[in-house]
Amino acid sequence: MSQLGEAAVQDRNGVSPRAKSVLFVFLWGAPSHLDTCDPKPDAPAEYRGPFASIPTRTPGVHFTEMLPRMASRSDRYTLLRNHVTSAPGHPDAGTVALSGFEENPKPVQPNFGSIVAKHRGSTGRLPAFMSIANGTVMDGARKIEAYGGGTLGSVYDPFMVGCSERGEVNIPALKLLEDINPLRISDRRQLQQKLESVPRALDAQDVASWNRTSRQAYQLLTDPRSRDAFDLTLESPATRARYGRSVFGQSALLSRRLVEAGVPYIQLNYARHVEAITPGFEFGWDTHIYNFELLQDQHCPILDRAFTALLDDLYERGLMDDTLVICMGEFGRTPKINARAARDHWPQCYYSIWAGAGIEPGRVIGMSDARGEHPISDPVTPLMVGTTIAELAGVDTQARAEMRVLQEGSVIDGLL
Amino acid sequence: MACSRLQAFVALLVAAAVTSQLAAVEPIRLTHDGRMKFTPVFINGGEDLVFVEIQDPRMYRLQRLQLADGEVEPVHKTVSAQEFDPAYSADGKYYAYLKAVGTLSVGMVISSRKQTDEVQLAPGQGFSGYRNPAISPDSSLVLFSFAEGGRQDIFSVDIKGKNRTALTGGKGINLWPNFSADGRQVAFCSTRDGNFELYLMKPDGSEITRITENPFQDLRPRFSPDGKRLAFVSHRDGNFEIYLVNTDGSNLQRVTEHEERDDYPAWDPDGKSLVIVSEREGEHDLYRLEVPPYQASGPGVPASRP
Repeated sequence: MSQLGEAAVQDRNGVSPRAKSVLFVFLWGAPSHLDTCDPKPDAPAEYRGPFASIPTRTPGVHFTEMLPRMASRSDRYTLLRNHVTSAPGHPDAGTVALSGFEENPKPVQPNFGSIVAKHRGSTGRLPAFMSIANGTVMDGARKIEAYGGGTLGSVYDPFMVGCSERGEVNIPALKLLEDINPLRISDRRQLQQKLESVPRALDAQDVASWNRTSRQAYQLLTDPRSRDAFDLTLESPATRARYGRSVFGQSALLSRRLVEAGVPYIQLNYARHVEAITPGFEFGWDTHIYNFELLQDQHCPILDRAFTALLDDLYERGLMDDTLVICMGEFGRTPKINARAARDHWPQCYYSIWAGAGIEPGRVIGMSDARGEHPISDPVTPLMVGTTIAELAGVDTQARAEMRVLQEGSVIDGLL
Repeated sequence: MACSRLQAFVALLVAAAVTSQLAAVEPIRLTHDGRMKFTPVFINGGEDLVFVEIQDPRMYRLQRLQLADGEVEPVHKTVSAQEFDPAYSADGKYYAYLKAVGTLSVGMVISSRKQTDEVQLAPGQGFSGYRNPAISPDSSLVLFSFAEGGRQDIFSVDIKGKNRTALTGGKGINLWPNFSADGRQVAFCSTRDGNFELYLMKPDGSEITRITENPFQDLRPRFSPDGKRLAFVSHRDGNFEIYLVNTDGSNLQRVTEHEERDDYPAWDPDGKSLVIVSEREGEHDLYRLEVPPYQASGPGVPASRP
């Protein structure tokens, strides 16, 4: 596939950023750090949980037995085990995780992706910030405030794309007008005429919405090369199988295609909802009940397969040199097992995985204490995550100051 | 600690390689849609299977597979919330399952198969849920797992959902109770000694006996129809595989060997095969797997290790 946005990926001095694309894998709902990438096998039973720890490829570093493939690829990424965040609940912690700042005081700050999108401008036929989920990410009925442009404006909201476990891509913006589907209209002029007629049928508010999202959706899909980025049937059956036939697996494959197409920032969400099991909601990582069963039955096998397939695929295609991959939740989970034999929210300690964009892999930066309750090295905050992402994506100190974003943020020490 | 676990891991890989030579029959694929599936159970004397399927990212649903023609249809025609963990009585009169009723809130339904006599057990306050119902062969008891006070015990109620009794003594996380065909024993898993291991007990919770001892997870025991051995899932070779073990802990045998996942064993009532959920090329389907006949002792390694 051609690099649709390649020509525009330079800063004002003509220098290419280390990360032409950023792929933020958001484990919404927050996985338990002790049960995944920061096990504490020597902690008391009421802390360590039932999972054994296994060695990774990084000497002295262990994961739980639930992530054997990720353990075997630890030489392909760097692990940070010293994260902290300021918010204990999902919606606010989601906003902090994606913007670096809490919801209040207002105004809500922009998503890291919106910052990168504004800096890069229009990079080609595809939107500069895309979010993969079956709708806006939510906690119950409440969306994450920092899902989009914030102070930069709704024009920098993400372009939403969903994906089924069969790899069928769903673009919500196309649902506005069911009788106009570019996948069924081969004559571009005919489609263009129909698009021109749409605003006359809408009121003023809908016209604004139409111009911002739906028009963009229809127009990008009139271009065969853009449309191909969403077509997972162009992948071999072996490649599609490699990621697993889960929503997250096929979404991860879609994210790789979007990286390949030159999209500057992609937020790949594990699930739309945080709730682990609730009527009408997708299965997120919020395991206040059934923590060990859900990790074992569903979440860890799905993540282990899809995330390693994604990393392997990006490496094999030579894309990792200028692609930054980050994988993390919005906080950790209680080191001490709760009353329901599961784990609650724990903003005081969690982890992230960083790969590509020239980051030296196979390292662990930062440590948590013996029970995984607190970092014992300088903590890393979401603002530092966003600042580091921005720096690697070419949004330098001056550009951030001009946009008035990520103010007082610093780059994660020792990562770059 | 980490070093000893690594050594144990390597030793168990070797042991698993030896035991894996005992069975090499290719499984037969029974479903073909590839969706994630869990917990198959035989019903109607082995003519049908009920299992759980993720139908879309929001829904667990009970499905019934007719083995004669491969037809799959939902157990309940209309559902509004996730339903999972099905259990059926051996006499075919009752079934039980779990149903999400709110935010992280899961109740249990015990019902006659004709749905004329249904009991719904509400979960506790706040986030709370039942797990793993199992109905005794004479339909007098329903066992289930329930978490409270930092522990997850196995409890029993009668078929009307009354007379709740704690069975497993409040130690660790206790899951997956399964009755022997004569109803005299219950297999289950517990973390009471550190990680998930297989145990046996009487239906009243007495005479708890440990069957396996391994640093990795042993899960989901299922009694063979003759009551002499257990099929279970273990992570001891690095991924989920199916094993058999005699109820005295002897003759451990691995019966699947694949880099992808094999899980959720269910005995065919004839005792000659298991139906399992296998992940192959990223797709999850039901497979039938022939198993070697019972041996009082054999070339397998003991399941208990000093």
